[in-house]
Amino acid sequence: MTASTAERLNRARRGVGVSGHGPGAPAPRRKSVISARAWTLLAFALPSLLLLLLINLYPVIYAGIQSIRNGDLINAGDFVGFANYASVLSSPQFWSSAQFTLIFTISGVFGSWAVGLALALLLRTRIPAGNVFKVLLLLPWIVPVVVSATSWNFLVATPQSPIPILFTALGMPNVLFLASPVLAQVTVCIFKIWISFPFMMMMMASALASVDVNVYEAAKMDGASTWQTFRGVTLPIISRSTYISWILMTIFCVNDFPTIFLLTGGGPVNSTTSLVVLAYRTVFQNFQVGPGVAIAFLMTFVLVVISVVLYRQIRKVNVE
Amino acid sequence: MTQIVAASSRPITVGQVDVRRRRADHTSGKRGQWLRFLLIAVITAIVIVPIFTVFLLSLQPSLGSTSTAAFTLENFANVFSQTSVLTWLTNSLLVTVVTVVIAVVVAAPAGYVLSRARNKLVSGYSLILFVVQSLPVVTAVIPLFILFAQIGLVDNLVGVTIIYVGATMSVAIWMMAAYFDSIPITLEEAAWMDGASVFGSFTRVVLRNSLPGILSTAIFSFLLAWNDYLIAVVFLRSDGNYTLPVGLETFFQQNATNWGLVMAVAVVMMLPPVLLFAFLNRYFSVGGIGGSLAGK
Repeated sequence: MTASTAERLNRARRGVGVSGHGPGAPAPRRKSVISARAWTLLAFALPSLLLLLLINLYPVIYAGIQSIRNGDLINAGDFVGFANYASVLSSPQFWSSAQFTLIFTISGVFGSWAVGLALALLLRTRIPAGNVFKVLLLLPWIVPVVVSATSWNFLVATPQSPIPILFTALGMPNVLFLASPVLAQVTVCIFKIWISFPFMMMMMASALASVDVNVYEAAKMDGASTWQTFRGVTLPIISRSTYISWILMTIFCVNDFPTIFLLTGGGPVNSTTSLVVLAYRTVFQNFQVGPGVAIAFLMTFVLVVISVVLYRQIRKVNVE
Repeated sequence: MTQIVAASSRPITVGQVDVRRRRADHTSGKRGQWLRFLLIAVITAIVIVPIFTVFLLSLQPSLGSTSTAAFTLENFANVFSQTSVLTWLTNSLLVTVVTVVIAVVVAAPAGYVLSRARNKLVSGYSLILFVVQSLPVVTAVIPLFILFAQIGLVDNLVGVTIIYVGATMSVAIWMMAAYFDSIPITLEEAAWMDGASVFGSFTRVVLRNSLPGILSTAIFSFLLAWNDYLIAVVFLRSDGNYTLPVGLETFFQQNATNWGLVMAVAVVMMLPPVLLFAFLNRYFSVGGIGGSLAGK
């Protein structure tokens, strides 16, 4: 009984009496509880893991193998080494597709972010019937792309469509939005921004909702202008959400197929053929599985590397 | 560079609106409110033009119609009697509902693990989810097509449903985890004290308090399955197995000039998600994805 007070307190905290475990004390059960819990948690995660293995990881491995063979949709084909990659990387179409994918992604991410943030800021203020607008502005994101692409086709595709007619009426030349390569690229990018800004608006609105109103009051007291408040208070607070939303939107844009394919089909003269559309057409329209999978696999490789780096980055930002 | 300039020039205009409001707050608060109302009303009107167009065209007499009325429902009558739109609608509903149910049942426990357990294995799992989310669907589609062709799941609704469930997984798990994070663990600890197992406390305490999180995940899975085009167009090969996206696109290719009929099918396709959102939008939140992605 020479234990110091501190030691005794420590024992008490651990639930051990002054004299240690008495003969009648229940044996410690902690270990078995933990393992039962671990088994349950493993069982909880298992179904989702199996699905991910079947639907996501297995195909990637298979695609990797298929990209170094000359098979088709039925036969596995023979080993051809890196011939598919060589033919893909030496084709000019691959590089112009990569370039368009880059343009599409950059304009999609920053365009939809800018519009989404502006609207989120505006909708935060008191506006009559504000909630109605919030829901109406989500429509472009909710409505199936097949439907909106059909509608955009009606509005802009031919010289007799409403928007070109409106342009002519306003004294501008008759614009063929989907017939000239550059205009088609611009139109597809605007279409993507139109579809994606509601997602950004929701992300930014929920980030802004966590900003304490008092911070603004304090900034106002200090005589900060609205622009200064935005730069100095709002942006830093929403920076993490902004960063995450950029990453997600980058992934959505690079992988986007229907937005482009349904509006232009990749034309005119392949100007809007992104890498995903190119991979799809190579496999399912030209039936060249090897090169098509090679394109997809190159994209996958770049995306996985980027996403692992970015994932680490998010976690790091979070720790700071 | 131009993109960055464009991005930063936007908030300036918002800032100006804000200035007007702040000043208006002192002098005439009502006027500032109505100015902003006008601004947002004009923006909203421009944004929903393409959607409004779909409704408008579907209600107008189509080519060769004898109707003289300005608005008519005959496009809908024609579409339902002459095309397989009813079959496509049934297929879409079937695939979507099954996807939603399985996605929630599988993602909820997985999200619980992500939310409550903290160790190396869980971090690895979380990284896998993130990498999987960034994979292009088109990469997965080709090998799955070859695999499914061998086991008879091409041109089969079961096949696309399996892929949809897989495709929803990452985001669905993040959404559930984000919601579970908001439930205090003391509730479960109390249940464990009373002798409940981890499974028991999960179903009786956690799930019972997670309706908004479950609804959010369900809405997300619904939109993904209902709106998908790529997987459906690759895997569904015959008219009787089409879901609405492929059905609409095929119908559009064949009747591109008959906008009334095409838009009637489009309305049938967009009503379910629009109605779903009209009633449940307050439950839907994407903000949580960021939180659980960053590990809080």
